[in-house]
Amino acid sequence: MNQTKDDEKAKEETANSAPVSDTVSPSSEAVAAKKPNPFPSFFKKIHSSLKNSSKETKQTLSYIAQRLILMLITFIAIFFICFILIRLLPVNADSGMKDPEIFYLNMVAQGRMEKVVDATGKITYRNIPVFRQLWTFLVNLFTPGNPAPWGYSYKIEWLSSPADVLFKRLPPTILINIYSMIISIPLGILLGIYMALKKNKWQDHALSILVMLFISVPSFVYAFLLQYLFSYVWQILPAMRADASTGWFSPEMFRSMILPVLSMAFGSIAGFARYTRAELTEVLTSDFMLLARTKGLTRAQATIRHAFRNSLVPIFPMILGEIISVLSGSLIIENIFTVNGVGALFLQSIQTRDYDVFQFVAMFYILIGLVGTLVVDVSYGLVDPRIRMGSEK
Amino acid sequence: MELTKKNIPANPALKNGGEPVLSKDLFVRYKDEKDLHDQAFETKPVSYLADCFKRFAKNKASIVAAVIIFLIALYAIIVPLASPRSRVDSVAYPNGYMDSNFSYVLPYNSLFKGTGFWDGTKVETKSENDYQTMLYGDSNHSRFVSLVSTSETRVGSSVVKAYKVRIDTYAVGNKNVKLSAKQFEALTAYEKAQNIYRADKSIMKPLVDVESYLTTYEAQIIADGVSTSTASGIIDFMRTYYNQNSNVYFALSAKTSSGKYSQNRFSPVLDSSGKPVDIYKRDTANNLVYEELVSGEYSVRVDYFDYATYRDGFQPYFFFGTNDAGQDIFLRLAKGTQFSLLLGIGISAINFIIGLIWGAMSGYYGGTTDLIMERITDIIANIPSIIILSICSIQFTNNVSLKAALGESGIIVLAFLVAFVYSGWVGVASTTRMQFYRFKGQEYVLASRTLGAKDGRLIFKHILPNAIGTLVTSSVLMIPGVIFSESSLSYLGIINFSTSGLSSIGSLLNEGQAAGLQYYPHVLLFPCIIISLLMISFNLFGNGLRDAFNTSLKGSED
Repeated sequence: MNQTKDDEKAKEETANSAPVSDTVSPSSEAVAAKKPNPFPSFFKKIHSSLKNSSKETKQTLSYIAQRLILMLITFIAIFFICFILIRLLPVNADSGMKDPEIFYLNMVAQGRMEKVVDATGKITYRNIPVFRQLWTFLVNLFTPGNPAPWGYSYKIEWLSSPADVLFKRLPPTILINIYSMIISIPLGILLGIYMALKKNKWQDHALSILVMLFISVPSFVYAFLLQYLFSYVWQILPAMRADASTGWFSPEMFRSMILPVLSMAFGSIAGFARYTRAELTEVLTSDFMLLARTKGLTRAQATIRHAFRNSLVPIFPMILGEIISVLSGSLIIENIFTVNGVGALFLQSIQTRDYDVFQFVAMFYILIGLVGTLVVDVSYGLVDPRIRMGSEK
Repeated sequence: MELTKKNIPANPALKNGGEPVLSKDLFVRYKDEKDLHDQAFETKPVSYLADCFKRFAKNKASIVAAVIIFLIALYAIIVPLASPRSRVDSVAYPNGYMDSNFSYVLPYNSLFKGTGFWDGTKVETKSENDYQTMLYGDSNHSRFVSLVSTSETRVGSSVVKAYKVRIDTYAVGNKNVKLSAKQFEALTAYEKAQNIYRADKSIMKPLVDVESYLTTYEAQIIADGVSTSTASGIIDFMRTYYNQNSNVYFALSAKTSSGKYSQNRFSPVLDSSGKPVDIYKRDTANNLVYEELVSGEYSVRVDYFDYATYRDGFQPYFFFGTNDAGQDIFLRLAKGTQFSLLLGIGISAINFIIGLIWGAMSGYYGGTTDLIMERITDIIANIPSIIILSICSIQFTNNVSLKAALGESGIIVLAFLVAFVYSGWVGVASTTRMQFYRFKGQEYVLASRTLGAKDGRLIFKHILPNAIGTLVTSSVLMIPGVIFSESSLSYLGIINFSTSGLSSIGSLLNEGQAAGLQYYPHVLLFPCIIISLLMISFNLFGNGLRDAFNTSLKGSED
């Protein structure tokens, strides 16, 4: 993978965003400044903070580098474990395979099996010990010009590389996740703010019950409910995802994506609303809010400029995490609405026992999970420099 | 103390340059007694647990949730024990009660009989021929309940009538069954005892002579000008139709209203009084024939609902309806809930113990031990359990010796155990670790260590009891998590329950989706309700417990 590229990119980003983080937390200062033209002072501030915080930037960079290295080590360990477990699975070439002969040839070529000819001249294929397989895999992976270091798909798409199979399935998953994000993040945060402002009033109680319901009830239950009501009883929306031949942005495609997007968004909205409410109520009762009000700000000003900005500190990393996980499809929702995405591919690879694809998709999911956690942790530290996940006391 | 202002002279202390000078006579003895004792508490002391329970009892939502969990657990325990369907003969039903003739019947509750809701009826659209065929039947139970509406659509020159009919899904009509001589005699004896032998409401119905009717009918339509090949096609379709619909006891005609012959639409032949012409089998004395002895087995035509009632000893009404194989969903859901609950509780208990030990070690010793252990948990936590479960499932089902030792159901349980225990304890471990970091530096631990306490004593006697509240709560909240993952993974079919005889909420969801949400929503509805109720109640219950165990919240709600 292009790990080094990611590394550099992450470094660049942090170099840019580290000083910006300074302007986020002491927001009272920015508000109190009553210069006629705020922009030059803003740039001046960034400039000075760049100068002053060079030590801090270094610290941040080393922190990120440390986290990245840890993540890499974890990923490699997980990869070895998964590789061994998956290569130990029984191979049955005869069921549902187009041409077992080619399969065996490939297996021998990739150093996964060896041909055994017994005394009667009968040809059988025998598995090579797993650790030797791992070694040949690593050698193949780092040998330039190797056509298929990750093996081939033998069941889902005859002899295409797992990466190709995966990338073909990405568009529907990404689209559905992005639509669901576009709905759920603003709506969830707005609901959370509303609930926090109306704390302990009937609106808050009613919404809290709804949020609790949507968080507890499994997403497939309301997926079924939506599908049954909208597609079968009222027959307004299609129950299945439309054919990809109409194009990803066609009206039919959009209409058919409404239900899966909704069933994914509900839980997400509820999650964001609950989190925002908890954060904002905490901030609203803190001392600096009292100061802001005594200073003469109206409640709206104080809430928007002070409370909301501060409550966003832990929410922002959550959003970043959500953005990373756009790539991974929900298994259940894709299954219910027959979305031909990454989640469906994962399931299909398990059911058809297409092990190379299974391994590739599994590692893809694991990598996304790891990168997501890393980004969330690092961005916590960037947004609020007091937080360093995993640091000493 | 009770030194009032009266006792103090006007600020003598500050006279001497600000330095307070307090003379002895300023102080008065509080009570002129020799010994002063603490007064005994008049109230009863409240233990930590009692206090927690008191606070838990104040939280009404948690109490309701606890009651709901209790009721669901009761349902899961009692129904498999009490249901007559779980006590059926294991020879006749090797895989538990099922009757494919009652496949997908709708939920029935005698309280709602005749209301159209939860009474086993549904509305279906029928063509005119089907509608007429349905109206005439010699079954004891009519499939027809009521006519909802009729509609006419014009197709070309002809008018096609469609009937919206409410039908009783339990009225499955008559079926041909084969009985051994012993069974046949018992059935005859039963009918005689009930005074229904060859009477109006008899279980055994007269046999239908399809073949001789078809032969005469074929000759008749050929005489009417239908070509031989068309006629044999019509007769073949009609034979299939008769075989599939054992309650059709009357002559059918393929002639449509326009005078043409239809290949596959048949309507009953009516006599002059408007009754269908029956084609019962008659013997030489023109008596109705009720049974036929073929190679030691009696072939009879029975009213299936009454026959099933006689055979099993209970009426085949199903509270939650049935699935594809005609299994009782009420019973299977109870068993599935039992399995899911046991799995959830069992796995949470195992995870709790492993996580506790791991977290305690990692948190107590800290330093390098902690670092290494944390890296291991990091690796373990990042491999999704779905991957482990699929690997286990494939590996175990292909392992012949394991299969022989554990059986089909044992393999499923083992796969779940491995997949959920594998990474499930990580959460408990990190909570325990945090709690240990919190308590291990406190003075009372130091004091105990100074007095020579060993590590084990410090961990189990001093630190753990303080952390146990938080830990118990987190493990209660783990139960719905396990149930949820189990149900979604078995719903996706990663674990295949079909041949094992086991069922879980997830496997029932899987069946429901296979049945088709569009056609049989009831198969999916009840598992969905149970799992939603379980999730909501466990979350509320767990949150209530967390608040109750959190001593820092004490008094904040009042």
